[in-house]
Amino acid sequence: MLEIRNLSVEIAQTRILNDIDLTVRAGELHVLLGPNGSGKSSLLAAVMGMPPYEVADGDIIFDGVTLNDLDIQARAELGLGMAFQRPPSLSGVTISSFANALGASAVLEREAAALDLADFVTRDMNVGFSGGEIKRWEVLKLILQDPRLLLFDEPESGVDLEHVIAIGEAIRRIVRAPDSKGRQRAGLVITHTGLILNHVDADMAHVMKDGRIIHSGDPIEIFNHIQANGYTVPQKAA
Amino acid sequence: MDNPKTQEDATEVRGTLTNQERDLLNEVGFDSESSRAATSVLTDHEVRLAVSNDPGVEIMPLAVALRTYDFVQDLMFGLVDPNENEHIAMVAEHMHDPLGHFTWVKPGAKVKLPIQTFTMLETPQARQFTHDITLIEEGAEIEMIAGSAVPSSVHKGRHISVSETYQRPGSACKSVSIEHWGEAMEVYSYGHSRMEKGSSCTAVSIKLSPIRTHKSRSVSILEADANSVDQSILFAPVGTERVMDTETRLIGSGARSEDMARMVSAGGSIVNNALLIGEAADTNGFLGCDGLKLSDTGEVLAVPSLLARAEGAQLSHEASIGMIDSDKLNYLMATGMDEDAARDLIVQGFLALENDNVPAALRRRVSDLIAKAKSGGM
Repeated sequence: MLEIRNLSVEIAQTRILNDIDLTVRAGELHVLLGPNGSGKSSLLAAVMGMPPYEVADGDIIFDGVTLNDLDIQARAELGLGMAFQRPPSLSGVTISSFANALGASAVLEREAAALDLADFVTRDMNVGFSGGEIKRWEVLKLILQDPRLLLFDEPESGVDLEHVIAIGEAIRRIVRAPDSKGRQRAGLVITHTGLILNHVDADMAHVMKDGRIIHSGDPIEIFNHIQANGYTVPQKAA
Repeated sequence: MDNPKTQEDATEVRGTLTNQERDLLNEVGFDSESSRAATSVLTDHEVRLAVSNDPGVEIMPLAVALRTYDFVQDLMFGLVDPNENEHIAMVAEHMHDPLGHFTWVKPGAKVKLPIQTFTMLETPQARQFTHDITLIEEGAEIEMIAGSAVPSSVHKGRHISVSETYQRPGSACKSVSIEHWGEAMEVYSYGHSRMEKGSSCTAVSIKLSPIRTHKSRSVSILEADANSVDQSILFAPVGTERVMDTETRLIGSGARSEDMARMVSAGGSIVNNALLIGEAADTNGFLGCDGLKLSDTGEVLAVPSLLARAEGAQLSHEASIGMIDSDKLNYLMATGMDEDAARDLIVQGFLALENDNVPAALRRRVSDLIAKAKSGGM
């Protein structure tokens, strides 16, 4: 579903990602691990087409369509969706008016309670939300949007343990369920702490460091290695 | 034998509105007379309809009120000097045949349904001078919806209005007004109110449709413990000039006011001069002016001013003007919205249309007005 080939990304002609190769097939859920500043969020933003990230080399391909020259909305219309790490506050734009604009009011009514957000529908988007509320809302936002490829930028940061479980389960549920047209979805989750790994049931993990993917493999084995040795390549893989 | 006429029967006006007129007024908040406590509709130079369904409310043409109740003459020009400026003087000169709504809410009346008053200008190039007086007696509680409209065939004309609102002690008024004049019209409106001890007012004023010039001046005087929350929502597409001067005087201890203006220029010009005066101790007032520019043409000028004349008057203001934040646009577009839809959502949010003070029935109409104004369809 998502194929990233030899991708290099720049901001204002400064290279921040180098030679990224990554493939996420339909039905799969991948996690991206790495230290702060390794380029994880930049990679997701580049896939989504967010400025100021510019593709300097290589291709981002979704369902056979090269995304490099498509704007954000076009990518979203093709089926990409992203849960932001630090979304902007939209004063005066209520969650219900946003859902209405997306034509997803019925979905909001049905799904908000599962993320403990039933009382939020009249609140302005991301205004006065706690860290945990932002993360839960971002997951709910994707449920309303109904994308096929779901990108999650640090969904567990700033979230208490109880809600990490709820968010992890919600991510697993939405990625593993078919979209509204019955098609398989896929997911790519950035995690800094790895806490969410216990709840999302990932198929594959990738380690990023200094703007490169340095290792890919079994999520639990990689996480155990990172806990013991930091963000390095295991000996047997090297 | 016929029943003798009551005073209410004698002062009511039961003209008819055409379906087209009703449709037009629906756009600015009108609803059937049966679903309102009282209704008054003024068209061109006559009050066509003035009926009340609530014993706590009398509503009638101002000319009838002057003949019926002696005290009305003391209310007229009680808050504004008839020679304050040339426009008000023009209205005063028409006092041989005054045109306007008179609304009287009786002491202690708790009026459940809204009172509605509307003004229409149906003749192109007409000159309309109106004077409305509202008297809300002690302890009364009401909700008011007011609007103005022109049919699509009327582009040019001039409307000058004076309104005087008296809120007696402990009364409460929640009001919404929505204006939709012709795109080449000139409108000058002067609103004066006096809020007596312990009265409260929550007002939302919505001015969104294209208009050549709309200049307004309002003066509110708050006595002890009076409380006012006022929100103005202004939109100026290309070719529209809006100038809004407001003056709020806190003259009694414990008076509180909060005046907020939300202004969006899509190529037109908006000037907001707001003056807040603390004339007594233990008064508290806030002015908020937020502007949004949607294009490189037009302008938004926000001038909040504070004047403290008494020790202990706490006055503050906030003012900001900016463009739509690209981060917000990108965030919404990442959900699949196109740029126009994302802009509309942000603008509507900025204008606080989800605010509880805006009746739900009006929100959709206001959203439509924004969409039409932006597309040049109005």
